[in-house]
Amino acid sequence: MSRFKKLLKWETALVFLLALQIVVFGLINPRFLRLNVLLYSVNDFVSISIISLFVTFVIITGGIDISVGSIIGLSSVVVGILWKMAGFNIFATIPVALLVGAISGAINGFLVAYVGVQAMVATLGTMLLYSGFSLVIMGISGSSAFEGISGMPLAFLNIANGNIFGIPNPFIIFAALIIISYILLHKTKYGRYVFLVGINKNAARYSGIDHKLVTLSTYILSGTSAALAGIILTSYLGSSRPDLGAELTLSIVTAVVLGGTLITGGSGGVIGTALASVIVGILRFGLQMAGISSQYISVGVGLLLIVAVAIKGLSLSNFPMVKKLFEKAIRN
Amino acid sequence: MKFFVNRFVKNREVTVVIFLLILFSLVGLKNPAFVSPGNLMLTLKGSVMYIALAIGMAFVILTKEIDVSVGSILGMSAAVAATMLRNGSGLFSIIVVTLMVGIVSGLVNGIGVTKFKIPSIVMTLGTNGILRGLMFIYTGGKWVENLPDYFKQASQKSIFGNMNSFVFFTFIIMIIIHLYLTKARNGKYFAAVGDNLEGANLVGIKVNFMKILAFVLSGVFASIAGMVYVSQVGFVGNVAGNGAEMTAIASCVLGGVSLNGGVGSVLGATFGAIIMNSINTALVFLKVPAYWNNTISGLLLIVIVSSDALISRYLVNSAIKQRLSVKTESNGDGKKEEIGGEINEQI
Repeated sequence: MSRFKKLLKWETALVFLLALQIVVFGLINPRFLRLNVLLYSVNDFVSISIISLFVTFVIITGGIDISVGSIIGLSSVVVGILWKMAGFNIFATIPVALLVGAISGAINGFLVAYVGVQAMVATLGTMLLYSGFSLVIMGISGSSAFEGISGMPLAFLNIANGNIFGIPNPFIIFAALIIISYILLHKTKYGRYVFLVGINKNAARYSGIDHKLVTLSTYILSGTSAALAGIILTSYLGSSRPDLGAELTLSIVTAVVLGGTLITGGSGGVIGTALASVIVGILRFGLQMAGISSQYISVGVGLLLIVAVAIKGLSLSNFPMVKKLFEKAIRN
Repeated sequence: MKFFVNRFVKNREVTVVIFLLILFSLVGLKNPAFVSPGNLMLTLKGSVMYIALAIGMAFVILTKEIDVSVGSILGMSAAVAATMLRNGSGLFSIIVVTLMVGIVSGLVNGIGVTKFKIPSIVMTLGTNGILRGLMFIYTGGKWVENLPDYFKQASQKSIFGNMNSFVFFTFIIMIIIHLYLTKARNGKYFAAVGDNLEGANLVGIKVNFMKILAFVLSGVFASIAGMVYVSQVGFVGNVAGNGAEMTAIASCVLGGVSLNGGVGSVLGATFGAIIMNSINTALVFLKVPAYWNNTISGLLLIVIVSSDALISRYLVNSAIKQRLSVKTESNGDGKKEEIGGEINEQI
C-alpha cells in the first residue's frame, strides 16, 4: 500500500511538472497554448512515448534494452525495401516489420533470459547487430543509406499525418497503447509476474512462474513497440532510413526513469512513464518553439533526468534521517 | 576439458590474445598485406583512441559501475583542445585545460553516483546528453578546423624505427596501469569495491572515494582520447565521439572485464579495443563492403559474451556439484540428488 501511495505521489508531481512546463512555454510563446498545437506536438515524440511504455516492462524485470533505437531503423528499412524492391503492398509490409521487431526482441530476450548474458551487454551487441542489418539490407539492395527510400503512397503517410475527428492519429495510437499497457502491467496476472520477476527471481521461480519466459516476453514487447514506432516514424517523415532511431535511447531511458520506474527493477508503472514521456516530448517541442536549436535540447533532457532522479533519491534516502532528527528534537 | 575451460576463464587476457592472433592469421592467409608490419602498425595506430577509452572504462566497470558519458567527454575535450589550438595557445596549457574537462566531468559523475545515489547508468546517460549539448553550444555547431600542423603531425611521428609514438606511449601507460592494478595495494581496491562493496567498506577502503576516482580516471582517459582524436583526424566535427562509449564498453567486455564488477584487467580491455578496431580494417582487406562492419562486430560481441556466460555457468555448476557430492558423501544421507537439483536450477 505504501509503495502504491509513493508512486501515486510521484505521478502527481509529474502532472504538476507537466502543467508548469506548459505554462512556462506558453508565456514564452503564446502560440504554444493553442489546443491544436499541443495535440499535434504529440506527432513529434510519439515514437519515444510508445517505446518507453514497453521498455518500462523490461526495466521492471531488472533489465534494460538499448537496442530499441536500432530496431526502429531496421523496421523502417524493412518497410521501405519490401515496398520498393520486393513490390509488396505498403500496408502488407507493416505486419512483416512488426514481426521483424518481435524477432529482434526475442533474440534480446533469449540472450538475457536463457543464455544469461547481462541485459546491458546483450542489447549493446544486438544494437550493433540490428543497425548493421539495416545497413546491410540497404547496401545489398543498392540504395543509398544516406538518402533513404521515399515516395510512399499518401494512404501510408496518413497513418502518422492524418486525423480522425480532428484528433491526430498518433495521439489515438498513443492513447490506445497506454490503455493496453496499463491493463497488461497493472491489471493482469502477467503484469504481476513481471513485477515479481523484477523483485525476486527465485521467489518467482518457486511460485511456479516461468521467469525466463516472462523476461523473454518483455523484450518481445519492447522490440515490437520499437518496430511500431519505426513504422509511424517512417510514415511521419515519408522516408525510410536506417538511422531513424539512433539518437532516441537517452530520451527513452529518461522517460522510463523519470516516470518513477526503478532502473534496478521491481517497481514502476506505465502511467508514470506515459506522463514522463510527454514531459520529455513537450520539453523538446517547447524548447524548439522557444527558438532554441534542437541540438542544445539534450542539455535540458539530461539535466531533467539527473535532477529528477537526484530529488527522488534524496527524498527517499534522507527523509528517515530528517525524521529521526526531528523526533529527537521533540523528545528533548 | 575442464582444465581448458578453467584456464579460459581465469586467463581471459591469454584467450583474447589467442583470438586476436587467430583473427590476424586468418585474414593474413586470405590477404598477406594485412599482416605486413606497416599495416599492423596502422591498425594499432587506429586503436589508440579506443584503447585510451577502454582503459578508463575498465576502472569504472571494475568498481561495478558504468560510464556511458565518455563519448561526449571525448567530443567536448576534442572541441576544447582544437579551439585552443586554433587560437594559438601553448601546448602545455592546452593539455591542462583539456584534462580538466575530463576531471570535472568525472567528478560530477562520481559525486552524482556516490553522494546523490543516482544509478550510474542514469547519471552518465544524463551527463552524456548535457555534455553533447554543451559541446554544440561551445562550438556553435560549427566544425573546428585549420589546426596547426605540429599537432596533427604528432600522431604520425615514429620512434625506434617504425614504432608510432602514440602507440608506444599508450602501451607504456597501459603496462604501468596494469602493474598498478595488479601489484599495488591501492590498485586492488578498485576490484575489491566492485567485487564486494560491503566487505570493502568493512575492511576500511574508502568506497566512495575509489568510485569517484574511477569516474575521474575514466574522464581523464576520455580527454586523452579526445586529444588523440584531434591529432589523428585533424578537425573536430559535431558528432566527434558519438557512440564511442559503446565501443569502449564492448572492448572491455570482449577483454574479459565483467560488468558484475571485480573481474578483469586493463590488459584485456586493451586487446579488446584492438580487436574491435581491427575487425573494421580486416573487413577492408577481405574486400567485404563497409556496411557489414556493425553486423560483424555485433555478432562477434554476442558470440563472445554468450560463450562467456555459458562457460562460467558450466563452471559454477560443476563446482557446486563437486562440493555437494563431497558434502553428501560425508554426511551419508540420501538427499544428494534433491539438494543438487535445487541449487543447479537456481543458477
